[in-house]
Amino acid sequence: MKTKMFLTLTLFLACGLALFVFADNQEEEEEKNLLVFPKAYKTKSVSNGGKINGVVKFDGEAPEMKKLEIVKDKATCGKVDKFDESLVVGEDNAIKNTIVYLMDITEGKDFDAEAKKPEIDQKNCKFTPHVQIVPVKVRLTMLNNDPVTHNVNIADININKQQTRMIKRLRINAMTKPQGPVEVKCDIHGWMRAWVAYVPHPYFAVTNEKGEFSLENVPAGTYKLGYWHETLGNNNKEPVTVEVTAGGEVKQDFTLKMKK
Amino acid sequence: MRITMLTLTSLFILACVVMLPSFGQEAQEGSLIGKQVYEESCAHCHGLEGRGDGSGAENLLPRPRDFTRGLYKIRSTESGQLPTDKDLFDIITVGMPGTSMPGWETSLSTNEREEVVKYIKTFFSGFQENEKPPREVRLADKIPYSKESVEIGKGLYVELGCVECHGNLGRGDGTSAPTLVDAWDFKTWPANLTENWNFRGGSDPEDIFKRFIGGIAGSPMPAFQGDTFYHFGLTPEQSEQYAALEKKVEDGEELTTEEEELAAQYFEINDTAATAALDWAEGLEMSPETLKIYNDAMKVVYEKSWHLANYVKSLSPEKRPEFAIGKHVLRSQYIQGELPALADETWNTLEFSYYPLFGQIVVEPRQFNPSIDSVNVKSFYNDTEVVFLFSWDDKTHNTSEEENEETGKTYQDAIAIQFPVRPPKGPTDPKPYFLWGGKKPVYLWQWKASAPDTLTELTAKGIDKAEEQEAQGNFAVESDYTDGKYSLWVKRSLKTDDKKDLQLDVATFVPIAFSVWDGGNGDIDTKRVISSWYSFVLEPLPSTRRFIYPPLVALLSFGLLVGLRRFIQRRNS
Amino acid sequence: MKKTSLFTICLVIFIVCWIFLRFVIGGIISAPIPNTVIAMYMALIFIAILVHVSVEDSRFTEFLRPVNETLLDDNKRTRRLILVILIPLLLSGYTYSNIAQKASPLGDPRQAHPKPPLDLTYKDEVIDTMQKAHNPYRKYEKEDPELFKEHVENGRSVYYKNCFFCHGDHLDGKGHFAAALNPLPANFQDPGIIPNYQESFFFWRISKGGPGLPNEGTPWNTAMPIWEDILTQEEIWDVIIFLSEYTGYTYRTFGEGH
Repeated sequence: MKTKMFLTLTLFLACGLALFVFADNQEEEEEKNLLVFPKAYKTKSVSNGGKINGVVKFDGEAPEMKKLEIVKDKATCGKVDKFDESLVVGEDNAIKNTIVYLMDITEGKDFDAEAKKPEIDQKNCKFTPHVQIVPVKVRLTMLNNDPVTHNVNIADININKQQTRMIKRLRINAMTKPQGPVEVKCDIHGWMRAWVAYVPHPYFAVTNEKGEFSLENVPAGTYKLGYWHETLGNNNKEPVTVEVTAGGEVKQDFTLKMKK
Repeated sequence: MRITMLTLTSLFILACVVMLPSFGQEAQEGSLIGKQVYEESCAHCHGLEGRGDGSGAENLLPRPRDFTRGLYKIRSTESGQLPTDKDLFDIITVGMPGTSMPGWETSLSTNEREEVVKYIKTFFSGFQENEKPPREVRLADKIPYSKESVEIGKGLYVELGCVECHGNLGRGDGTSAPTLVDAWDFKTWPANLTENWNFRGGSDPEDIFKRFIGGIAGSPMPAFQGDTFYHFGLTPEQSEQYAALEKKVEDGEELTTEEEELAAQYFEINDTAATAALDWAEGLEMSPETLKIYNDAMKVVYEKSWHLANYVKSLSPEKRPEFAIGKHVLRSQYIQGELPALADETWNTLEFSYYPLFGQIVVEPRQFNPSIDSVNVKSFYNDTEVVFLFSWDDKTHNTSEEENEETGKTYQDAIAIQFPVRPPKGPTDPKPYFLWGGKKPVYLWQWKASAPDTLTELTAKGIDKAEEQEAQGNFAVESDYTDGKYSLWVKRSLKTDDKKDLQLDVATFVPIAFSVWDGGNGDIDTKRVISSWYSFVLEPLPSTRRFIYPPLVALLSFGLLVGLRRFIQRRNS
Repeated sequence: MKKTSLFTICLVIFIVCWIFLRFVIGGIISAPIPNTVIAMYMALIFIAILVHVSVEDSRFTEFLRPVNETLLDDNKRTRRLILVILIPLLLSGYTYSNIAQKASPLGDPRQAHPKPPLDLTYKDEVIDTMQKAHNPYRKYEKEDPELFKEHVENGRSVYYKNCFFCHGDHLDGKGHFAAALNPLPANFQDPGIIPNYQESFFFWRISKGGPGLPNEGTPWNTAMPIWEDILTQEEIWDVIIFLSEYTGYTYRTFGEGH
């Protein structure tokens, strides 16, 4: 009798421990990725899909953007004033450069042709756009039309390439796994910053100056809607649930606050 | 019986579950030895969990490696690849010069080092996930070191943008140097290529070549990949033609149909080769044709990298200046008449005396991560004056009088040369404390980059107890900062009227020591680099007796020998 | 076969002795021996040889025979000529090199481990006499191994935050700052260091640093900081425990004499 009890107890403990271990692993996984991706994604043709749109706004008084000090290649880089773009708040407190996306979609449309040719320009020693969505298995193109040497360093994915003034077009290795957003830096011009998200499906949008985003042709269903902003954080822990009907339109706004 | 078996099995499962997360699939006894060695010898800097956050880490720069991100600087593998086991083993064995990572060859056995490599690999899951072994850099077509190769490398150094960080002459003083940070956002400096004994992964052209092809992961040093080379895939002749066509377009000229076709063809070749290089980097399956295109195109990249490696090798002296502690005497040479000016050729007739410096970690605030490792000095004197030429490498030129926003202090480059007020009378006569004196005062010459033509005389009784002398002496001072190197030229008369000054006599040995500040490295007040006491002497002219006594001795001994023979001859007869 | 002459044997003995003193003992076995000491030994050996050969008249004559022959015999003319030229040349060369030599500064007559003061102090507080002071946490080694381990770990942390820059990762005095220091930092792996001193001696050296040395220890040269300005008493005792735990050496304890 006693041995049986001991046996049950041991098995119970083992299960508990295993659960604990796996739960722990999952949490770590989440921490590493700043976006939430579905485990798998299948493309299919979507007709009469719904639309999700909205505006992302800032709660409180927007801090003033810091002017960047141009310490190098002033003739080229100093032509236009540059500001720290880690938080761009426009009119009506609209927040630019926020990623809004579907966390748990497993089936839907394919990337369109334009999305498959992502580019970041380095004109005037500034990355444009500041946040770029790159599909997995697609190569990002860096343009250099400045008469100076740039350097693309994406340390998180172990990419560091020099782009001399002669190399107008440089492509970055594609990623096979969704990840990010990862920070892009130019080591030659320390102030240059951008973010790249490697994503498995096309339901990702980046807000414009007016804070607007729009996800189109979403198959009908219920989804978790997430956001990410480089300074204001994400809602991975408490995503918004949206219900998309065929041909319908869902409006979902976000109001973000400074992280404490 | 069965129940016991079951219990044992479940216990076994429990044990496995507990072991699983920390050891991965290769849970072996070996890793236990590795873990033990790691915790005893490595964890104090690299942290128990391999995050590079041990108790010793906070005062170190470069920081101890964080093993959890799989970013390894020194590898024999291509860009984006993990290191081989041998790479990790070698680093543990020989250490990393210029950092706080020592070699463990004498203190850990070969087996222990191998086991600790296995253990370190458990910190990053990528090692287990990788099915293929990491691809190593091909060293087969090495171009041997030669003057011609160095000359080609010199051109590439500019073309590839190395100057941006490493500076014109390689002293790490490029215009981007002050803003560089690593993947962990810690400040990092480009290597001073004229001091190859500090190269973390070795100083041979092979070592340098590997850093080019593989990059230095986590640092701002880019990897040389096919598509980062101009006109990758084109032959030099094709590249020249294509460049001419590109220029035409840029200048707004119309291309003929023929030229347009040619340009399109070259674009195609370049694009195909660049695509092949990306396929290779991503580890995709490649057809034999694409592989050939890639390999042919890479020949040029390897060739250029060898030339550049040879050039970098040529920037350092063949041997590191000797470190002979305490034996380095600064001997000022006598010349008649006018002493040489800063740019005078006469200086080239003298060798520099080399004085190693170390971070001031005796008094707070301390400098744990010095950026200047030596000062070089030459000196001449004549009947009335003495002249010194001090030179040292500094990656940043900080002359600013502006206050730092955060600390409210002004950081600038400076040097102080320290002597006792009076030379000690004998070996038992105490010297002043080497850190700017104590009970016994020291006499100092301080120079600051913000006032490059003046020298201030100080008297100090401690590192923070220095006072400017009321009567400032007459100095002639000139200085220069070019390509990461300071030169300071100072002339003073041998004797002064001020009792607080050091008076110089020929053939008297005077202790001398140095303090150097690098404003770009946060040096200020006691935070600086310093040296121990060395000796300075006005070298007397060689005695004229050296021409009189030797012939005399020769004559005398000859006479004695002849005399001896005579004496014995006489006695015998 | 010709018998080797007594003179040659003596000459060979003399030269071998010199080589042994100059290069074997003073070079391979230990540090170079000062020239004056070598000269003294060589004089003794010379006298010993003279005594040996002059004990009997016949032996002395035998000893001097090759000298006489070289000086007088007609068939030894070439040898005589060579010696007459060579000896004055060598002597004058030696004189020249002696005169032309550059003067060197006199080294510091430094005692590596000078006598400690009578009382052990931390800042101005007297802990005990140097002889009696002991490490207050040492007793936990037997009484409470867990607590002792905490002190070892604290010592380890203190060591790698403060000491290893000079004294090294392996405690062998080869830290990354060490090469530029004069005198060099102490090497705790040296079997002559830890076993020869009490823990109180180490406490004194750590707390007072270089400037706390008496004059014969050249306090003006060593870069050892005054650690009582930065570390607490407990931290100093803990790091002392760590040194012996890491190296496996035991400190000399009171009662074994000094």
